[in-house]
Amino acid sequence: MDAVDVSDHYEVTTSEETPSLLSIVLDTNPRAWAALGNVLPLSKAIANILVFVNAHLAFSNSNQVAIIAAHVNRAVWLYPSPPTAKKPTDTSGDVQMQDASTSAPPGSANKFPQFAQIEAAVLASVRKLTDETTGEDLETTTTQLSGALTLALCHIHKASQQLSAAGTNLEDHTKSSAATNPMKGRILVISVSDSEPAQYIPTMNAVFAAAHSQIAIDTLSLSGDSTFLQQACFNTNGTFLAASNPQGLLTYLMFGLIADTEARQSLIPATHDKVDFRAACFCHGKVVDTGFICSICLSIFCEVPENTECLTCGTKLALGNYGAKPAVIPRKKKKKKKIVNGTVREDTGSGAGTPRA
Amino acid sequence: MSVSNMPALQLREYLERLPGTTFRKLYQQPSTAFAIFRRMLPHLAKTFVMRMLFMPAPMLLADLDIWVKPDAKKQKDQALFILQALHIVHISPPSREKPQEMQLTTNFKNSMRRALTGGGTHNSFGVPSTLVVPPEIDIPFLDRYARKKWEDILHFVVSSVGFKSAGEVSGPNKSVKELLIAGRLVERRPNGSIGITQTGFTFLLQEANAQVWTLLLLWLEAMETNKMAGLEAVDMLSFLFVLASMELGRAYDTNALTEQRRNMLPSLVDFGLIHVPHHKRSMFFPTRLATTLTSSGNSLRSISEGVAAATSAAFNGTSNSGGPPGHGPLKSSTELKGSVVVETNYRLYAYTSSTLQIAVLALFSKLNMRFPDMVAGRLTRASIRQAIQFGITADQIISYLAAHAHEQMHRTAALTNKPVLPPTVVDQIRLWQLENERMKTTGGFLFKDFEDQKEYLAVAQFAEEVGVLVWRNDKTGMFFASRHEQIRDLLRNRKKAE
Repeated sequence: MDAVDVSDHYEVTTSEETPSLLSIVLDTNPRAWAALGNVLPLSKAIANILVFVNAHLAFSNSNQVAIIAAHVNRAVWLYPSPPTAKKPTDTSGDVQMQDASTSAPPGSANKFPQFAQIEAAVLASVRKLTDETTGEDLETTTTQLSGALTLALCHIHKASQQLSAAGTNLEDHTKSSAATNPMKGRILVISVSDSEPAQYIPTMNAVFAAAHSQIAIDTLSLSGDSTFLQQACFNTNGTFLAASNPQGLLTYLMFGLIADTEARQSLIPATHDKVDFRAACFCHGKVVDTGFICSICLSIFCEVPENTECLTCGTKLALGNYGAKPAVIPRKKKKKKKIVNGTVREDTGSGAGTPRA
Repeated sequence: MSVSNMPALQLREYLERLPGTTFRKLYQQPSTAFAIFRRMLPHLAKTFVMRMLFMPAPMLLADLDIWVKPDAKKQKDQALFILQALHIVHISPPSREKPQEMQLTTNFKNSMRRALTGGGTHNSFGVPSTLVVPPEIDIPFLDRYARKKWEDILHFVVSSVGFKSAGEVSGPNKSVKELLIAGRLVERRPNGSIGITQTGFTFLLQEANAQVWTLLLLWLEAMETNKMAGLEAVDMLSFLFVLASMELGRAYDTNALTEQRRNMLPSLVDFGLIHVPHHKRSMFFPTRLATTLTSSGNSLRSISEGVAAATSAAFNGTSNSGGPPGHGPLKSSTELKGSVVVETNYRLYAYTSSTLQIAVLALFSKLNMRFPDMVAGRLTRASIRQAIQFGITADQIISYLAAHAHEQMHRTAALTNKPVLPPTVVDQIRLWQLENERMKTTGGFLFKDFEDQKEYLAVAQFAEEVGVLVWRNDKTGMFFASRHEQIRDLLRNRKKAE
């Protein structure tokens, strides 16, 4: 007879799946992939990543994916395909994203049509990217990660705005954007190279922007030492995985990184036990353990800047008595108390003992 | 296995009645495995499947506990329950020598892998037609076509209440009418007219996607009872899943289908799931109704939205109004929002001009104003009681309102952290219903006469965890559960362990 009891309120909630957008940032550093070539060639890695992408899309038909290549000197869209140059650009300067479906995809009865489209688009873009890579590009050894991260963030932001913008006026929207997130964004970085210290500031800016908009950054590090990405994952509640066997890429992806932010609420995440928290200095871009910090703007320097003026905010900094050895004052030794006649009473200094009551 | 003789109106109920061998046959097709994965599983279960998909060996059941946070145990158990019920996961029986292991069933695993990686020669995602597509058949055309067909069916059900809808409606095909009567959605009254039943109301107030499935399942069951067509339910079901994974706006080859499946096409045309051009019989186009069969929720979410999507497509015919769902880059759901606003003072506003939706609203509310794009009305005691006399339940009304709530309602709800519908209205609708109805019936099984209190507690506890417990009384040692398969297994295992 519980049904008759109406004292409790019936909560009516609409259970609708929020779409989830997965942005994959693929590090396409040619040198690093060449070094990895024996265990995991790039072509095989991309095949594995495509299966992972399909798995993500299989979750729901509203799920989306974006794939960006972080190349040595630029960030390139792999999917959705970049805008064609001949298109007139908006006055606002917005980049119109073209969906790949416009180009007629090859029809096959053995493949889900959407998967076939993405595969075709990604393979074409990667081929184009490798063709356009010149010898000069190879001079640079590190990857432009921050640019790719920023692109991914912009895309997620734009996607969630488009989802929530239906028929709402502006002030409503600004109010609601903080409260409701129409879309679960997530960035997965597949990293093969070391973190470039010169990119510390832009990378961390992107990371904090992601943390602010509750976008998790996950990292799968196949090789190299990605210091900043460890911090990125830590700051955004993402997962950092270092693959000790890169040939098992698909297993790492499917097991460790398939869970989106919703599923993670009930799953225990795979974690990396230690996080490298070192920062890079603002003056030379070196990764430092200890350094100098501007007391006004918190900029980090590896050595005292010129004229003791902060390079970022220009504040004249007083160094205090830097370099002075702190005077070490030995602690006074306490006199050892002698236990006389079994009394443990402290010596109060006064000659006469406390009178007993 | 099932006790109720009512036709299963939900895909889940239907699937759960099927025996394991049927599932094995179903999962031979990648598209079916893929569709069931996408449509039937809760989020956590999907994550489990994906994690286990490429595992080479069975995993220990105990390991699953390590994956999941302790406070999410209930979700985990429910996910596992569904996975087992759909024969996706196989858990080895407990024994003394070996700890319990779980793995994906072979057919499902292979097909799912195949679906994700592509390749093979299974042709289960439909063979595209190589012929030239007639230029007049584009996505807006298909949307209009599907809407017309589906609205005819809904109008037929609604108009049997007595609300004559404006505009001339030709009505659905005779076979569809027979099907609706056979499925007891409507029934023939003694005076020869057609009247709606309670099941019919349930049908009417569902979201479009569920409606399509209801009708399709009725059809499957009808086919099973009269085998004259020589169609096999398993094959039909997997063909539906094939349809669901096809691409909107693309032509598919009829000749590549088996004889059996080709026989299904005329009925599917009647339902509006596919379109076959008159002069080109060898190709067919799946409509949005078909391609969104396996998407959960927000595709063609309700009558009004489907209509809105289709009309907007009709108005700006040339502009691309929503590409194929899922491919439409980032705006798949913008045009598919609800339209009903309910205020705490029982007033109700619906931004719609569809006669169909207005007719549905008029079933349980008193509409008093009509504007070009909106109707306004009130929920009153009389209107709700009238609805209840028709056989509509309060739960159906509430879920209809919740499913069609205007986006503004969702937004305010999210901002103030309150439920979408005003609690006072929701409670009152239920109270109005309770004035007449003081009983609620649940089909199920009574468990009693346990050997001792301890056994009773353990079994009842289990039933509660898997979410099938309806009622329990600790004093008399009895409890009532809506399902018994899992409990039976548990009892059997306990017996064995003794």
